[in-house]
Amino acid sequence: MSIVKVEGLYKTFADYRALDGVDFEFKHGVLSILGPSGCGKTTLLRCIAGLEVPDDGAIWIDGKVQTDIRKGILVPPYSREIGFVFQNYALWPHMTVYNNVAFGLKLRKVPDRDIRRRVLASLDLVGLPKLEDRYPSQLSGGQQQRVALARSLAMEPRLILLDEPLSNLDAKLREEMRVELKKLIKKVNISAIYVTHDQEEAFVISDYVIVMERGKILQYATPDDIYNWPAHQFVASFIGRSVLVDGQVMQATGDEMKVMIPDFNRAVLTCRRPNGVAVGETCQLVIRTSEVKLSSRPFEQTENVLQGVMTSRDYRGGLTDHRVQIGSREIVVTSHKLCPMISVEGDGNKVFLYVDKGAISVISDQPAVSAQAAAH
Amino acid sequence: MLAGSLIVTPVIIVIVRSFTTARLGAAVGFSLDNYMRVLHDPKILPMLQNSIVYAGGSALFGTLVGAMLAWIVARTNTPGKTLVELMPLYPILMPPVMKNIAWVLLLSPKSGILNNMLQQAFGIDHPVFNAFSMPAMIWVFGLTCVTLGYLFLLPVFLSFDPSLEESAYIAGSRPMRTLLRITFPLAIPAFLSALVLNFLRGLRSFETPVLQGSPGGIDVFVSKVYDSMSIDYNPGLATAYSAVLIVLSVAALILYVRTTRFSERYATITGKGYRVKVVDIGWWKYAAFVAVFVYFLIGIAIPFVVLIITSLIPYYDYETFMKFPTNVDLASYHRVMHHPSFVSGLYNSLALSIVIAVVTVFAGIVMAFTIYRTKVYGSKVFEFIGTIPLAFPPLVLSLGLIIAVIDSPFYNTLWALGAGLFIAYFPYALRNASGAIVNIHRELDEAAWVHGARWRHVFFRVTLPLLKPSIAGALFYIFIEALRNIDVAVLLVAPGMEYGPVTLFEYFRVGQWAEAAAGGVIYLVILIVTVTIAKFVFNVKFSL
Repeated sequence: MSIVKVEGLYKTFADYRALDGVDFEFKHGVLSILGPSGCGKTTLLRCIAGLEVPDDGAIWIDGKVQTDIRKGILVPPYSREIGFVFQNYALWPHMTVYNNVAFGLKLRKVPDRDIRRRVLASLDLVGLPKLEDRYPSQLSGGQQQRVALARSLAMEPRLILLDEPLSNLDAKLREEMRVELKKLIKKVNISAIYVTHDQEEAFVISDYVIVMERGKILQYATPDDIYNWPAHQFVASFIGRSVLVDGQVMQATGDEMKVMIPDFNRAVLTCRRPNGVAVGETCQLVIRTSEVKLSSRPFEQTENVLQGVMTSRDYRGGLTDHRVQIGSREIVVTSHKLCPMISVEGDGNKVFLYVDKGAISVISDQPAVSAQAAAH
Repeated sequence: MLAGSLIVTPVIIVIVRSFTTARLGAAVGFSLDNYMRVLHDPKILPMLQNSIVYAGGSALFGTLVGAMLAWIVARTNTPGKTLVELMPLYPILMPPVMKNIAWVLLLSPKSGILNNMLQQAFGIDHPVFNAFSMPAMIWVFGLTCVTLGYLFLLPVFLSFDPSLEESAYIAGSRPMRTLLRITFPLAIPAFLSALVLNFLRGLRSFETPVLQGSPGGIDVFVSKVYDSMSIDYNPGLATAYSAVLIVLSVAALILYVRTTRFSERYATITGKGYRVKVVDIGWWKYAAFVAVFVYFLIGIAIPFVVLIITSLIPYYDYETFMKFPTNVDLASYHRVMHHPSFVSGLYNSLALSIVIAVVTVFAGIVMAFTIYRTKVYGSKVFEFIGTIPLAFPPLVLSLGLIIAVIDSPFYNTLWALGAGLFIAYFPYALRNASGAIVNIHRELDEAAWVHGARWRHVFFRVTLPLLKPSIAGALFYIFIEALRNIDVAVLLVAPGMEYGPVTLFEYFRVGQWAEAAAGGVIYLVILIVTVTIAKFVFNVKFSL
């Protein structure tokens, strides 16, 4: 049984369409909803929580219908038995940490002794023992975030929804917290839907990722698949550092094909061939620049080597960005301090780039939800 | 719903009644007679002129003084600024009617203290000042307008981005020129807002026109509405005068909304953290200090002292007043405390003010919660209804109410008076609660819902506790306002059903000035105790 199932969800605010026919089903684990701001990801989460009423569509949680607009079913948020962690934590400032966490348990008339046990256990779980008498204003951002999480976990929900919970923390703390959050969710063994605009965060935390844009799901797959096989131009450009170029299939044999890139001085690149792509067709290639090798001397390989001119090098501490002009395009290749890749002095020099087949993804007319994810 | 209909009824009645011929209780017939009478009244044009000169003059005078004081406090190194910083408390400690009484005692042509002093000192044989003239009305009500001018302009000067002035300096402008060309022009929108709002208050004001205007033969619409009821006992005529007053008020209110929008476009607050730059105005700071001190004397100290002395002498005339303190006598206090209408009025005003404060604040919170936090159909309409009374002078609202209840068992009861006060103060309670509720992040409610709370839980466990500070403020504010209310209560009181402030007002009208002063001081003591409790026990900040 799926923990969440969403069918035909539509939601419009004034003249802005936040959800435009969203369907997906999710069995267990952690699912991230990833997309730029305004793509509808938070609206989707709020519809699942019952905080927003969609214009049309249906939502099931744990097999039970929660929203079905056509049948007039709308279970209120307080009866959905889920957890929700808000972006700003939404801790009640007039209650102590203990009372914040105990709030929902008291409403459910859980006996006092059990409340105490569960509150303290949740605070312990999130690593905040002995802070139960403090008020939210006396806590740091990271601690408030943990209290918000403890408040949801204390309810022992089947599903916890998280709306960009780490976005208010500083970069270092955010990196620590996302690892911790993942461990914690796995430990209590519940399912979670995690909304974020940070690709790296989504990949670290989740088992599956939904990429959204303009109220539509563009791709629903594992992080690995999304990274290696972006199904859509937008997904490719949104995920990681990559360059998107138009190409024409010159030759197709077995599971490989050669594609000519007009923008790269008509250079030819060999890459994996998606099903059904034929000679003469146009396609788009996504080149992950983090996987491109750069050298001032020619490579031993003859295939997939491009020639360009280095226009500048931007020093970023441990990393260096190399800007290379190839034909009419400029691409940025980043090298690490420990593997400098290149020792070119000055600008305007000729450089060689080796693009491994694995660093190239092809976008053709594939379905948005990849087969691997749909199977879950 | 109940609150809504309570507010709408008197408004409709005033408008309908203005088109009828009937006197109270008699048959009703549709007629334009009242309007014809109003329009053919030869005094209508002078009255219109008086209303505008009085309201406009006081507004201009008060707002200008308030703006200057705000600038002095916010931006200059004037010594003794603290006297002005306490200004928000002045109107609370010195209710309008007390101010009128004090200034009439000072400026009355025959027995006025100041007139007699000047006459004796310089051997002049005619009074220099006349408390019952237009300039005196503007003077007294203008002093009331200073606070609002100050409070509107203080944040403008305090939040002023110094880089706006600094760039003028760099462009070669000297401090004085910068002040005139940059600082003051940027404050104009806020100044206009305060000016128009003070003008509106002038149109609605009751005490000054009735206590100082009417005796001097200077009629404005408010005093005419009052006379039509208290002398002619002709509600039709009163409502017709009211209708003209309402038109003027609504016009001023529209103007106010427009100037406020205009001032938003002029926003000088950039959200960047910076410190307000205090300008060294050199020797001018001593002139500014004198101005501040004179304002303190005129605005609060002198009227206060005059009132207290008058309450402590056997009776009021100039000679007796000047013999103070050799003739200290508590006879006035003794008389008022044994006067049944003052004692019952004091009790009624205390009891009713407490009840009204609690009911109004609670109703305001419930309505604001309904409007902003629920999806109840048509709740936005209540937002509009709740603000209607702002456009209607309180006297007019109580006029509508008295016509509404005249044939009912509520006539001449505390219920009618309570309803009048409720209508008058509900808009404040609603606006206060709305502002506070809007400031509570919606996620705090939503977090409660997803953790199992229903509406009642959200309201009682999250919203209400978070509203505590603003509830305390509103309770005290409405209690204080209701406790000294005259313009709503004056038409709704009856023998045996008195209201303290109205009794004081009547003492004064019939010339019992010492009793009026003694009663006034009793109210001042109650107000001071209340304000002290509010400030130090409940940490309430008084702004308006």
